[in-house]
Amino acid sequence: MSLRTMILKMSEGLGRTCAIFFLTLIISLPIGIVVALLRMSKNRIISNVFRFIISVLRGTPLMLQLLAVTYGPYYLFGFSVSRNKLIPVVIAFAINYASYFAEIYRGGIESMPVGQYEAAEALGYTKAQTFIRIIMPQVFKRILPSITNEIVTLVKDTSIAFTVSYQEMFTIGKQIANSQTSFTPFVVAGVFYFIFNAVVDFGMGKVEKKLDYYR
Amino acid sequence: MILEMNHIQKSFNDLSVLKDITFGVDKGDVVSIIGPSGSGKSTLLRCATFLETINSGEILYEGTVAASTPQGQDKAVYAQKAEIRRMKGLFGLVFQQFNLFPHFDVMKNIMDAPLTVQKRDKAEVEEEAIALIRKMGLEGREHYYPCQLSGGQQQRVAIARALAGKPDILFFDEPTSALDPELTGEVLKVIRELAEEKMTMVIVTHEMPFAKAVSDRVIFMDGGVIVEQGSPDIVLGNPTQERTRQFLQNYSR
Amino acid sequence: MKKLLALLLALCLVAGLAACGSAKTETPAKTDEPAVTEEPAKAEEPATEAAEPAAEDEEPSDAEARTFIMGIDAEYPPFSYLDDDGNYSGFDVEICKAACEKLGWNFEVFGVNWDEKLIQLDSNECDCVWSGMTILDSMIESGYVISKPYYDNTQVLLVKADSGLTSSADLAGKDVAVQLGTSGESLLNGDLADLAETFNNVITCDSFLKCFTELGGNAVDAVFVDLPVATAYAAENEGYTIINENLGAEQYGIAFRSGDTELCAAIEGAVAELVSDGTYAAIAANYPDIVNNLLFLN
Repeated sequence: MSLRTMILKMSEGLGRTCAIFFLTLIISLPIGIVVALLRMSKNRIISNVFRFIISVLRGTPLMLQLLAVTYGPYYLFGFSVSRNKLIPVVIAFAINYASYFAEIYRGGIESMPVGQYEAAEALGYTKAQTFIRIIMPQVFKRILPSITNEIVTLVKDTSIAFTVSYQEMFTIGKQIANSQTSFTPFVVAGVFYFIFNAVVDFGMGKVEKKLDYYR
Repeated sequence: MILEMNHIQKSFNDLSVLKDITFGVDKGDVVSIIGPSGSGKSTLLRCATFLETINSGEILYEGTVAASTPQGQDKAVYAQKAEIRRMKGLFGLVFQQFNLFPHFDVMKNIMDAPLTVQKRDKAEVEEEAIALIRKMGLEGREHYYPCQLSGGQQQRVAIARALAGKPDILFFDEPTSALDPELTGEVLKVIRELAEEKMTMVIVTHEMPFAKAVSDRVIFMDGGVIVEQGSPDIVLGNPTQERTRQFLQNYSR
Repeated sequence: MKKLLALLLALCLVAGLAACGSAKTETPAKTDEPAVTEEPAKAEEPATEAAEPAAEDEEPSDAEARTFIMGIDAEYPPFSYLDDDGNYSGFDVEICKAACEKLGWNFEVFGVNWDEKLIQLDSNECDCVWSGMTILDSMIESGYVISKPYYDNTQVLLVKADSGLTSSADLAGKDVAVQLGTSGESLLNGDLADLAETFNNVITCDSFLKCFTELGGNAVDAVFVDLPVATAYAAENEGYTIINENLGAEQYGIAFRSGDTELCAAIEGAVAELVSDGTYAAIAANYPDIVNNLLFLN
């Protein structure tokens, strides 16, 4: 197999890799905020429930969660396994990443000086207005480096979708590697991930620059 | 009376910080509150601006009850949230640490609350903001961010922000304590100008000469009680209480 | 209860395998199970490279008994798998162990990551790959020393009994699962590519368990798999039938590193002895599903 054919074949899987990547981000970034708020709820029960959920999701391998979401309903209740693997894969990725993002948000929110809340309160802002207009924009700037870290990890984690037979780029690479008894597809995969992350780094760097107008 | 505070009690856990404080502010009054640190003067200001809740006593803004302690009970009851929010529109608060919103430029810091909270007309608010910026001597700084301004400039933006809500009374919590000495003058000048315009103000401060020059009344607090209050000439010049005298002596030394 | 147990077991198994898949540099033996060292004569001592051959054993003449590391796919019953007690077991494992005893060698098992088995062999993580491995032309072309074939393998399609599917032609437009790195997968990419073309999708899974789970959960319509594996699964689980069209008849052998001709010959010799003294047949009797396909006995 020529290198060109190899790259073309793996590019087909790259679309699926991108699908995992973008859908996971689109879902988990906002859900993370909600989870962070519930985790910080003044209601002891709610906050403890979410503390527990987060610790389970962060304390077990994503791979296990992927298996549980994909095959768990079948083993436990005899439900059909989804033919479109993108659905369980994105669900598992999104809840896993939402719990990581939630902790990052929480750290960011808790690091905000109390004076910002007091100033907003004295000016008559409602809690929601304070959160949306005053707190979150500043939190985003603070947590951006940590978010970038997670996003870079997500790029590489997409290869775990292989566990549930989702035919993303790395799975196709493995297939080629097997049928060709060749190591080259792994090198190609490595280059793909590296380029992907270089783009992510570049994009996030732009965003960070954009938020650089204040301290 | 714009503000009345009657028999205010406030404690943190078991530590009693305010012990039966009663005082009022009339329209046009400039009241300075002085006293050693830990005397409860900042807490009093925070109670008046609802940043802290009182344990018992009564707070009234322009005759309307914000908090009161029903007969026979020992816990203060606050008015409805909406009512409290309305009352927040009656006062402005200037913090020791400015607490400007760092992600907003000067204009937005001033305009955001009137637009977001009071939902006022944008063109009108903008016009007022420009006037306030001129009044604070900040022309040309409209689109600077707080981090690009000196402490004195930031505090003047904070004053403009507090004034943008058209308050009936303005509270200052040690407005110059976080500033380098050479920058306090520009802030005090602005406050003095407001006093000349008959703006009602309550100022917690350590600047004795300033308090003397600007105030109609000075309140000396110590240990959670008002030890003495009256005209600046008496309280700062010839106090009747021994504790006031001691404080002023220590202070001038 | 049974389902829950099955799920737990399944999760453990796949987690183990997948852990290897995700971290190429880690050897599975380090992350999962320690390589099992079995040396009946010296059960009380951990066997090491330098362990002296026990004095009570008469055969080894040289002072240093070599350790032979057998590379297996621990998820490939009945050839190699973890038994109920958590020990490596299976037909291939038993034969290799018996062969090592004959040669007076220490015997160790190393669980390879099946789709990277040859890389792991090259990097000396094991001395051979011996685990129901289909002999591929590409292996010989790449220089690996391959033993004489010992098993005639046939690929079949496992389908649900109530699916009404009776031939490979019925699978046109259907989804078919295959384990990555198995001969079935190579066939679908090679000799049987025309058949694979007629399928809607070929889904590659990283273990047979997942292929079967996909089939059970109706995510695929058939699993393309080695005959003995299919036979064993259909025997244990109700509602499955096998479509046997003798697709891609292939043979199993043992892979050694290039240049290890002598090692290969030694093992082949020991196995031949086992065949002639009846041990081979005795072991094979424990594996009724495969006994008919064993070349040395038929």
